[in-house]
Amino acid sequence: MNVPFSHLLIIAFLLFLMGLASILVRRNVIRVLIGVEIMLNAAGLVLVGSSALWNKVDGQLFAVFLMAIEAAEVALALALVIYLRRRKGTLNINAFNEMRG
Amino acid sequence: MRPEFISLIPLLPLGGALINILFGGRLSRRVSTGLAVVSVALAAFMVVAFWSYAAGGGTRVELYTWIEASGLRVPLVLLFDSLSASMALMVTGVSTLIHIYCLGYMSREKDYVRFFVLLNLFVFAMLVIVLAGDLLVLFLGWEGVGFCSYALIGFWYREGRNADAGQKAFVMTRAADVFLLIAMLWLFRIFGTFSIPDIMARTELIPAAAATPLVLLLLAGACGKSAQFPFMSWLPDAMAGPTPVSALIHAATMVTAGVYLLCRLFPLVMLSAQGMAAIALVGILTAGYAALCALAQDEIKRVLAYSTMSQVGYMFVALGAGTLSGAMFHLYTHAFFKSLLFLGAGCIVLLGGENNIFRMDRAARRNPLVFGTFLVGSLALAGAPLTSGFFSKDGILTTVFSRGSGLYELVWVLGSLTAFVTALYTFRLLYLVFGGKEKTRGEIPTLSFSMAVVLPFLAVAALFGGVINLPAIFGGNETLRHFLEGPDVIQGFVAHREEIILTALAVAVFAIGWLAAYGLFRRESALRDNMASRFFRSGFYIDQLLETLFQRPFRTLARFWDRATERQLFDGFFSGLGNMTFGGAKIVRRMQTGRLSTYLGSFAWGLLFLASFFLCCALGG
Repeated sequence: MNVPFSHLLIIAFLLFLMGLASILVRRNVIRVLIGVEIMLNAAGLVLVGSSALWNKVDGQLFAVFLMAIEAAEVALALALVIYLRRRKGTLNINAFNEMRG
Repeated sequence: MRPEFISLIPLLPLGGALINILFGGRLSRRVSTGLAVVSVALAAFMVVAFWSYAAGGGTRVELYTWIEASGLRVPLVLLFDSLSASMALMVTGVSTLIHIYCLGYMSREKDYVRFFVLLNLFVFAMLVIVLAGDLLVLFLGWEGVGFCSYALIGFWYREGRNADAGQKAFVMTRAADVFLLIAMLWLFRIFGTFSIPDIMARTELIPAAAATPLVLLLLAGACGKSAQFPFMSWLPDAMAGPTPVSALIHAATMVTAGVYLLCRLFPLVMLSAQGMAAIALVGILTAGYAALCALAQDEIKRVLAYSTMSQVGYMFVALGAGTLSGAMFHLYTHAFFKSLLFLGAGCIVLLGGENNIFRMDRAARRNPLVFGTFLVGSLALAGAPLTSGFFSKDGILTTVFSRGSGLYELVWVLGSLTAFVTALYTFRLLYLVFGGKEKTRGEIPTLSFSMAVVLPFLAVAALFGGVINLPAIFGGNETLRHFLEGPDVIQGFVAHREEIILTALAVAVFAIGWLAAYGLFRRESALRDNMASRFFRSGFYIDQLLETLFQRPFRTLARFWDRATERQLFDGFFSGLGNMTFGGAKIVRRMQTGRLSTYLGSFAWGLLFLASFFLCCALGG
C-alpha cells in the first residue's frame, strides 16, 4: 500500500466536487450528465480504496456493480436527452421547467 | 275448491296489474283495459265462490312464511271470515263497477295503462288489508293503498296542484300511520305475535293500563286513513284525482279502511270504555264538522268529499257505541250510495262542463238516467225513509241512544243535528245542480255506454241496500248483524215504543232538512257570501291553522339552521379550511421553480449541511 488512504480520499473528494460543480454550473443537459458520472466515479474510487484498506472484496464487487449500473443509466439518460431535444429543440436545462408549482 | 285458492282473490288484481305493467304498452287498448276489468270482476266472482268458507269461525289460509327470525314468525296468512268476506265482496263488487265506468271515463286518456295498473294495484292492496290475518300483512296493504291513493290523486301530475294534493294526502296519512305502527309493535311486545286471531283470542293478556293507550293509538292510525279529526284535511284536496278514483278510493273503500281496522280488532277495542268514548267523540266531531263544511262548498266533488268524511264519522260513532255490525252496515250502504254519487258527479261534470256548482251548465237534468240515479244516491245520503242510508244511519243513532249515559246522549243529539245538516247540504247540492237556469252551450257531450250502465246497479244497491240488515221494526231480521255473528256487547236495548219514536224522529229530521233546503237554496240568490260561509267553505281554516302550527315553525327552524349552521358554521369552517390550505400552498409553491438547476443546487446545499453536521458531531464527539 504505497498510496495513503487519505490521499485517495482527497482525490475522490476533489473528483466529487468537480462533478458537483459541473452539475451546478453547466446549463447543457449532457454536461450535467457528465457531472453525474464524475460524481459516481468518485464514489467508486472510495469503494475500491476502502476495499483495499480493509482487505475485503465487497468494495470491489460494488465497484463492478456500479459500472454496470452506470452503463445502463447512461444508455437510458442519452435516450431521454434525445427525446428532450426533439421536444423543445434545445438542451438548455432551464427550458424544461414544467414542474413549476 | 281448495281453501288455498282464496289467495286468488287478491292475486287476480295483482296479476292484472303486473301484466299491464310489463306488456301494457304493447297490448291494444281494448285488451289491456279489458284485462284490468276482468281481473277485478273475477276476484269478485271468487269471493262469491268461496262464500261458504266464511261460515263459522272462517277459514285461515297460510300461504308461506314471510319472515322468520328468532322469536318472530310472520306467515303470509289470509283470514276469510264473515267480516272479511263481506268486506271483500263489497270492495270487489264496487271496484268492478267502477272499473267498468272507467272504461268510458278514461276513453280519451292517453296514459290509460298507468291508470288501470294503479287502479288494479289499489284493489290488490285493499284486498290485502281486508283479508290479512296478520297485522304485518295488513300493514303491507295499508301502505299499499296509501301509495296508490297518492299516485292516483296526482294522476294528472303535470298540474302542480294535483301533485301537491297527492303529497298532502300521502304525508298526512303517513303521519297517522306512525301511531298504528307503534300500536302494532306494542301488541307484538305483549303477545309475541302479529297474528290477528291469536291476539283477539287472548285479549285478556293486555294489562288494564295499556288498553286505553293502545285503543287511542289504533284510533289515531285509523283516523289518518279515514280522514277523521285531526287528520282530515287531506280528503277534500284529494278530489284533484280523476272522479272514479274519488269514488273508489276516497269514498267506498280506502277511507273506510280505518273503520275496518277497528272492526277487525274490535275485541281489543272493547277493552277500553274510555277508548270507545274517544272513538265516538272523534267520529261525531268529524261528522258535524264535515257536514257544516259541506254546506258551503262550491265544487260538487268537494261537497261529496266532506259528506264522505261526515259519513265515516258516523261509522266511528257506531264503533264507539259498541255496534260492529252497525258500523259495517253503514260502511256498506255508504259505499253504495257514495260511489253512486261520485260516478253520477263524474257524469254531471262531463255534461255540465264545470266542477263548480254555480257555474256549471244544468244540462244534466235533461239526462233522466243521471238525474234519477243521482237523486237516489242523494236521498240515501240524506237518509230519506226506506232508502239504505236511512236504515244504517238510524240504526247507529238508535244504538247510541240506547247507551244512555251522559256522553252518549250528547253524541246522540249532535248526531241527530248532523243528520239534519246532512239533509240540508244534500238538497242544497240537488237544487244547485239540477235547479236554476240552463245555460245554452254548443254541443253537450254524450255519455258513453260503460259510464251509464253502472249507475242503475249502484242505484238499486243504494235504494234497497237496507234489506241486508233490516231492523225488526220493519219486519226484517237484521241479517248482517247475525252474519257478523253479532255479539254486540251492548245489545241495543230499546223499547219498542222508543224505537218507533226514534224512527219517526229520523223521518222528521230528514223532512225538516229538506224543507229548510227548499226554503234556502231553491233560488240562486240565496247564495250570499258572508263570513260564516267563507268559514265553512275553507273547512274552518284548518289548513291555515295547520300551516301556522306546523309548517311555519318548521320552515322558520329550517331557515334558521340553513342560515346559522349550514352557511355560517359548516360552510365557513370548510371553506376556511380550504382557503387556508390554498393560501399556504401559494407560499410554498414558489419553491417549485421547475428549474432543474435550482433543485440540484438545493441538493448541494443539503449535502453541505449534512456533511458539516456530521463533521461537527465527529469533532465534538
